[in-house]
Amino acid sequence: MTPFTDRTRRLAQSLLAPADGLMNRLYTWRFNPLYHSGAVVVVLLLIILVTGIYLLFFYRIGAPYASVERLADQWWLGSWMRSLHRYASDAAVVAVLIHMFRMFAQERSWGPRALAWVSGLVMLFVLFVSGWTGYVMVWDVQGLLLAREGARLLDLLPLFSEPIARTFVGERELPGAFFFLNLFLHVALPVGMGLGLWVHVSRVARAGLLPPRGLSWTVTGALLAMSVLWPAALGPAADLFRLPDTAPLDVFYSFWLPVSQAMPAWSVWLSSSAFSGVVLLVPWWARPALEARPAPSVVNERLCTGCTQCWVDCPYEAIAMVPRADAREERVARVDPALCVSCGICAGSCAPMGVGPPVRTGRDQLAAVRAFVSRNALDAQVVVVACTRGAGGVAASPEFQGAPVIPVDCAGSMHTSVVEYLVRSGAGGVLIVSCPPRDCWHREGPKWLEQRLYHDREAELKPRVDRRRVRLVYAGLGERATVRAALRTFQRDIGALEVARPEDRVELDIECERPAEEVLER
Amino acid sequence: MTSGMRVVGGVLALAAIVGLGALSQVPYPPEPPAHAVIRLTWRTRSKRVDECRRLTTEEQAQLPAHMRREEVCEGRVLAYRLRVVLDGDTVADETVEPRGARADRPLYVFHEIPAPPGVRVLDVAFVREDSLRGATGGDEGTTGGDERATGGEDSAVREGRAGRVQETPAVLQFSERLELEPRQVALITYDPERRALVLKGYGQTP
Repeated sequence: MTPFTDRTRRLAQSLLAPADGLMNRLYTWRFNPLYHSGAVVVVLLLIILVTGIYLLFFYRIGAPYASVERLADQWWLGSWMRSLHRYASDAAVVAVLIHMFRMFAQERSWGPRALAWVSGLVMLFVLFVSGWTGYVMVWDVQGLLLAREGARLLDLLPLFSEPIARTFVGERELPGAFFFLNLFLHVALPVGMGLGLWVHVSRVARAGLLPPRGLSWTVTGALLAMSVLWPAALGPAADLFRLPDTAPLDVFYSFWLPVSQAMPAWSVWLSSSAFSGVVLLVPWWARPALEARPAPSVVNERLCTGCTQCWVDCPYEAIAMVPRADAREERVARVDPALCVSCGICAGSCAPMGVGPPVRTGRDQLAAVRAFVSRNALDAQVVVVACTRGAGGVAASPEFQGAPVIPVDCAGSMHTSVVEYLVRSGAGGVLIVSCPPRDCWHREGPKWLEQRLYHDREAELKPRVDRRRVRLVYAGLGERATVRAALRTFQRDIGALEVARPEDRVELDIECERPAEEVLER
Repeated sequence: MTSGMRVVGGVLALAAIVGLGALSQVPYPPEPPAHAVIRLTWRTRSKRVDECRRLTTEEQAQLPAHMRREEVCEGRVLAYRLRVVLDGDTVADETVEPRGARADRPLYVFHEIPAPPGVRVLDVAFVREDSLRGATGGDEGTTGGDERATGGEDSAVREGRAGRVQETPAVLQFSERLELEPRQVALITYDPERRALVLKGYGQTP
C-alpha cells in the first residue's frame, strides 16, 4: 500500500467512524443502516422487482409515454407504485455506494474479497444501465436526453453499422423495436443481477442477505410514504422537434449527463474508462504490500481432533475437512490460503488451539497473555481486551482510563482461555470490547465470541470462570465514549464484588488436546 | 435510547428520504434558454467508381501466370462536400466520407447548429466530389488511369432494382428563409422520393 493509498484509506475511515457512531446513537447498532447497507440493497431490489412486475402490466411499447402518464394519473395505485419503483432504485444506488465506501475504508476489498468487489462493481454498472433503460422507456424529456446522449457515446464505438444517434433526430418515426429492446434490457439485466449476487456472496458463509426485519419495513414504509405524499415527477413528453425547457433529472442515474453533454464523446469514454479502471482495480492498488499482508491460517494436524468447529465457524468457507494422511481415523481441517482472509476466527473456535494464523493461534495468544500478566500487576483491576479495528480505537494505546489494554486483531479470534487466564490471574474483570456484530471486519467475530462466552459454543469459556467478571460490549471505531462509559460501569460493578485474588498457579486444561505421546504411539 | 435521540433519528431519516426525493427530480436546463436548432441529418448512398490502371509488361511478369491480367481496378465510393451557410456565415464546410472500414457504406450527415430565434437564411450545398471536380474543370483524382463509372454502381443499381430508392443526385441544394421560434428544431433531411433536401419539424412530431 502506497502512502497515498494509506492516507486515502485513513481519510475514508475518519469519515466512516463518526458516521457509524452517530447512527449507532440514533438507531442502535442493530438497526444502523450504514452497517446493513449491502443487505438494504437486496430489500430495495425486492421492492423494485415487485413494483416492476405491476408496472409491466400497464406499460405499452406502442405508446410508452401515454401508458406511463396513465399510470401517473392513477393516484390510488399506479402513481405510487411507479414512484416506489423509482425511489427504491434511487435508494439502491445510495446504499450500494455506502456499501462500497465501507468495504474500501475497512480494507475489505482485496485478496479473497476481490471477487466480491469486482462482482459488486459489475452489478452497480448493471444497475446504472438498467436505470438508464428504465428512464428511456418512459420517453419523457429526461428519457430523450439520456437516449440521445447514450447514442452519441455509443456511436463512437465500432458496434453499429449505422449511427444510432440518427434514431432520435426526427428523420423518421421511432420504431417500436427500440422500446421493446429497452423493455427487454430493463427486465433481463436485473435478472442477471441475481446471478451477480450469487457470485458476490459466493465466498462467504451464511451471507446476511437481509437486514433485520424492523429495518427492512422501515425502509419500505419510508419509501412508500414518500411515494404517496410526493410522487415522482413525470417530465413533459419527449418531442424530437423541440428543445426541452427543463427536464426533471434523476441525479442518481443521470448525474453524468450534464458533464457528458459538455464533453466530446472520446473524452467521456476516456475519463469514464479511467475512473472505472481505478475503482475496479481497488483490490490490487489498495492492498497492503506483500510483506505487510497477514498470513493465512495454518492447521497443526497433530493437534487437530477433527471436531469441525473451525470449519463451521469460518466466515469465508476457507476451511475444509479432509481425510488425514496419518493413521488417525478422524478427518483433519485444511485451510485454503486462496480463500483465507486471516481473520483468525478459527483460532478462537479451536479448543485444542491447533489452528489459526501464524503467531495468532490460541497457544500464541495464551503465551502473549502470560507475558502480559508477568509484565503488569493486575491488582484486581479491570483489563480491557479491545479489537484493533473498532472499540473506539482504544486498542491503539497500552491503557485506557487507567485500565491496561490488550489489543486483539478481531474479538472473534480471541480464544476464551485468554479470558480465563486473566480472571484466574487476578484481574478484577475482563471487559471485552468488540465491533458491533454487523460491523465486524471479519463478519462473524462478535457473534461467535458472544456464543463462546455465554452459550457454550466451542471453544467455550469454562464454567469455572466467574461470569460477573467478564463483560462483552460493542463499540465501533468512532465510539470511544461508549467504551469509556462501559468501562466506568463495569469498574463500578466489579468494585461491588469481593476483591479478586490470583491463583498461585494457573493451569488451563486444554480440552480435547491429545498428548503428544499418544499421537506418536499411534 | 432517549426520546431526544428518537426525535433526532426520526428527523434525520425524514431528511434523508426527502433529500432522496429531491435529488430524484432536480430541474435541469439541458439547453441554453431561448435558442433554436437547425438539425441537418440524412443518409445517402453515393456513386461507386472503379479506378482502373493498365499493368506494365514488367508488372505482369512479376505475377504468377494464372494471375496475369491487363488491368487492375480499385473501386471506391465517392465522398460529398457539405457546406452550410447561415446568415452569410459558413457554419460547416467539410467532406463527408462513406462510412465503414472499407469506406463502402452509406454517407451520414448529422449536424446540429444552434441559431438565435427569428428569421434566418440557410444555404446548404451537398455536392459529390466528381461534380466538384467538374465544376473546377480538373480531373486530378485519376492520375494516369481512366475512370470507369459503373452505371450508378452497386448501391444505386441494387436499390434501383428493388424499385425503392434511386441514385442520390450529385448535387443537393437547400436555400430557404427559416422563421425560428425559441427551442424549435428545424430538421433538414433528404427525401428520397423527391430526391431533394427538405425541411421538416416546426413543432410536429413525425
